[in-house]
Amino acid sequence: MLVLGERAPGFDGWLADGQPAVVVFLETDCPTCRLTAPYLNRLAQSVRVIGVSQDSEAATREFAAQVPVAFPLRVDPELMVSRAWDPPIVPALFLLDGDGIVRRAEIGFDKDVLNAIANDLGQPPVADPFDGAPSRKPGCSSRHLEPAVIGEEAAALNVHGSRGGKASRFELAEGEDEYEYRLRMFGDALPVVPPTAQRVERMLRASPIDPREVIGRIPPCYGEATVEKIAANAVMAGCVPEMMRVLIPLVRAACDERLNLHGVQATTHFAAPLVIVNGPVRDELGFWSRQNVFSNVARANSTLGRALQLILLNLGGARPDGIDMSALGNPGKFSYCIAENEEASPWEPLHVELGFRPDQSTVTLFAAEPPRGVSEHTARSAKGVLRAIARALETVWSYRSCLTFEALVVIGPEHARTIAHDGFSKHDARQFLFENSGIPVSEYDGDGGEGTQLVAQYQETIIEGVRCYQKFRAPESIRIVVSGGTAGKFSAVLGSWATGARGSQMVTYPV
Amino acid sequence: MTLVNPMNEAIPQAALPPPRLTSLAGRRIALLDISKPGGDVFLDRLEALLKERHGVASVIRERKPTFTKPAPPEVIERLRGADAVIEALAD
Repeated sequence: MLVLGERAPGFDGWLADGQPAVVVFLETDCPTCRLTAPYLNRLAQSVRVIGVSQDSEAATREFAAQVPVAFPLRVDPELMVSRAWDPPIVPALFLLDGDGIVRRAEIGFDKDVLNAIANDLGQPPVADPFDGAPSRKPGCSSRHLEPAVIGEEAAALNVHGSRGGKASRFELAEGEDEYEYRLRMFGDALPVVPPTAQRVERMLRASPIDPREVIGRIPPCYGEATVEKIAANAVMAGCVPEMMRVLIPLVRAACDERLNLHGVQATTHFAAPLVIVNGPVRDELGFWSRQNVFSNVARANSTLGRALQLILLNLGGARPDGIDMSALGNPGKFSYCIAENEEASPWEPLHVELGFRPDQSTVTLFAAEPPRGVSEHTARSAKGVLRAIARALETVWSYRSCLTFEALVVIGPEHARTIAHDGFSKHDARQFLFENSGIPVSEYDGDGGEGTQLVAQYQETIIEGVRCYQKFRAPESIRIVVSGGTAGKFSAVLGSWATGARGSQMVTYPV
Repeated sequence: MTLVNPMNEAIPQAALPPPRLTSLAGRRIALLDISKPGGDVFLDRLEALLKERHGVASVIRERKPTFTKPAPPEVIERLRGADAVIEALAD
């Protein structure tokens, strides 16, 4: 949409001639446009109001006669004017000064706005607050943003084709800054490496797969992730070419129905796909699993996580200012990738627990909230450390909610050592966490808050002599990974999104 | 300098939306519950209002198995024939 201070593109019927004007975009079947028109009629008695109808000549004539409309109303048959001015919603009102500069740009119906426009033009108010009409009403989407292809039925999405199209190319003009160009055109708010044809070519040479092969279709918009598109995003993220062998299975995992990326990408919740790397590929490509594992510590972690996020954005269409509706978001949406510290773990690593061989490498995706820290520096026993973690687990989703989510526990090496020293296997630790995570029944005092509606489904148990509802559905709802630095007695709990067949399930793919 | 387009280049295929209804009287309206808690409370009230105030002829009630995924084809199929569908997002 034209912004304040911008010069409005001229069109026939209106030219900047030293006189201010109000230009309004309307649709003839939009109730809010119908509601707005009489107020504009009042304004048109003393200032110039020009209407632009997004509908046919006949519909516009009928609309003008019915309302009736007392200002000139021109049609915009090819929507060329609408495209140039780009209002997202109608009615859209633009107040232009005598030089054709936009002084106000407003959408929908709002009496205060109409009166403010009148005031800007030195006119008395046009909208009486008590005239029976609502003070505000949202409009309809502008016609030029409605689906472009006309037909009775939409063509089905080709979800089975294995050969995608070749990526198009952007030719930059001489002197155009490629970083600025990139920021305008694609990517998120951070700088990326410009995906030049040369760099993408280098990335593609590291993969034996045909550049046109479709690895997956990325929800929620189901953009084709061809090897070439994956490579372009990998370049932008700063990946080394060898990262392609991790990125390809990672994209396959991301498109696995069980992960339900469609929901994860569009939810209002905090979840973002966390990558967990296991096996020899950690050393081969430099994945870091020690101190600062969730931070900006290593190129491999940072760029793999970032490449995935850019793919979700550029191919999946989950724009954080659009389809991705997370209320508060997640810093992991820049990059969210850790590796397990298998060397410092007393237990079998995640991929072995899931049935892979120790000498295999895997990538795992888990739709996770940001990590919450658990500090326990004084407990000297397995149970003492695990109890501290259990208290954090009880806060997952919301304190009184039970059963409908999972959690990932990232146990720091010092905690893992204390737990294992008391003879706890990974299985024992998980069982203890499951049995000792619960919410006291006395917390459900009938006030009807979140988590109280499903009480009939909750299982009762006794934890340390207190009647509680079991927090998790089963021990398997708690996943354990050992990661982080060997100094500092910390662990982290990461809540999931809605889980199980009706939500998002963790997926692991071999590299 | 030549840059490779890293974005989805598929052209969206979509049907033209049907004309907006000018009146609800005598129409068949479908209410789709996405199965979030509270959705039924909202839709029950909406159904009553549609019938009492707007003379809606009939109301079809449908429910998605889970709010986390798109509606399965069989649910969409059952909405066919309605003059309009109102989808309830609730929490």
